[in-house]
Amino acid sequence: MRAGMLFRSLLIQGAWNYGTMLGPGFALTLLPVLRRVHAEDPAALASSIERHAEHFNAHPYLASVALGAVARMESDGADNETVRRFKTALRGPLGGLGDTLVWATWLPLVAVGALVLYWFGVPGWVATLTFVVVYNVGHLGLRAWGLRLGLEAGRDVGTRLTEADLGGWARRLQHLLVLGLGVLSGTILGAPDGLGSFGPVVAGLAVVGFVAGLVGGHRAWRPAAAVMVVVIALIGAWGILS
Amino acid sequence: MELVRLSMLGGLLGLDGTAVGQFMISRPLVAGWLAGWLAGVPELGATIGAILELYLLVSFPTGGARFPEGSTAAVVAVAVATPFGGPGAVALAVAMGLVWGQVGGWSVTVQRRVNGRLVQRLLEMGSSSGGLIRLHLVTILIDFLRGAVITSVGIGVGRFALGLVEAGWPLSKEFSVGALYIGAAVSLGILLHDLGGVRRRRVLFAAGLALGIVGARFL
Repeated sequence: MRAGMLFRSLLIQGAWNYGTMLGPGFALTLLPVLRRVHAEDPAALASSIERHAEHFNAHPYLASVALGAVARMESDGADNETVRRFKTALRGPLGGLGDTLVWATWLPLVAVGALVLYWFGVPGWVATLTFVVVYNVGHLGLRAWGLRLGLEAGRDVGTRLTEADLGGWARRLQHLLVLGLGVLSGTILGAPDGLGSFGPVVAGLAVVGFVAGLVGGHRAWRPAAAVMVVVIALIGAWGILS
Repeated sequence: MELVRLSMLGGLLGLDGTAVGQFMISRPLVAGWLAGWLAGVPELGATIGAILELYLLVSFPTGGARFPEGSTAAVVAVAVATPFGGPGAVALAVAMGLVWGQVGGWSVTVQRRVNGRLVQRLLEMGSSSGGLIRLHLVTILIDFLRGAVITSVGIGVGRFALGLVEAGWPLSKEFSVGALYIGAAVSLGILLHDLGGVRRRRVLFAAGLALGIVGARFL
């Protein structure tokens, strides 16, 4: 059952939409449990599928915590309103924690590590494979851990989640990410064919770009990408005309 | 045949972005290498993938946010660069990839709206386990086709556009690739901004910078 739920949880965003978000995927992942609990009552099964397909949102990996806990509650015969309130209470923390730990920390950390390897001259396939393996050890480990935690703790999963201190883990990994970001910047700047080799103008422009990103944050991304595309297009047009 | 293979890859990697697994094989670094491997130029694929990864380091598939689709960007860029060997091919292909990544992101938004209608229909018809499974099969199939179509159109448009401008590219290959790092530096700055800026962890960043410069010079 646990392996089946873990496998199905990989499809939790299969029907992601702006209305119910993860809801349909949540119901799909829970389906083996719901079928077992309501084996004698098809109407109750349909009703429980509909309830779980309603709006739910969380980080897709950490949703496994809620999935495990709800599976336990459904098996223990918890009433519908309790389960609904439990899901509502859990979705915010699971979304916030997951975004901080996975999207803002683990993913860029492993990507920066792989890019450092690549710019240090490691073959492309080695850097790529390292990224995929290391990232997914964390990814699949987090999904499996979350599901187990939820199944064991049931409605007390909140306390266990606090004890796990995922926020603290994120902060510690972010120290490593800042170090990695420094190494990556230094490598791109200092490599024999890196930025430093194109003279002070190009290196200076890169520093200006770096500072613009540092000050402007995400607002700076689209304009910067647009400027690069336009400049490249203009150089191309200039080449044709001359 | 190559176009079909690359389009299928675009479809599969598009699924990884949101709908299936999120193993992050849809990140530009991986997608670029895979596209290069399929096209017989794995190192070119890795180079383009690594440059696009730098640009898209700050783009994550968070919830309802609209983000450039890194896999489409990388597969299109590699496929577009492959037939051209000139000095501007990589820079032009990366630019094309950045533009087409935005198109891919827009198509993801459309797909999510379609998913919403299909889910609504399921709920109106009365939920059943068979209906729920069929819903997921349909939405995943649509997502795969979306990724494949967007990728194949991007490759067609990109190759046509590069055919027009690539021969007259006036800069050297090394300088063209080097200039791409200027834009990538913005992403590195944004990532540091997200982590609280330089002030908060300046010692760590400075130590890393020194390590990187020394390592790149002597290793």
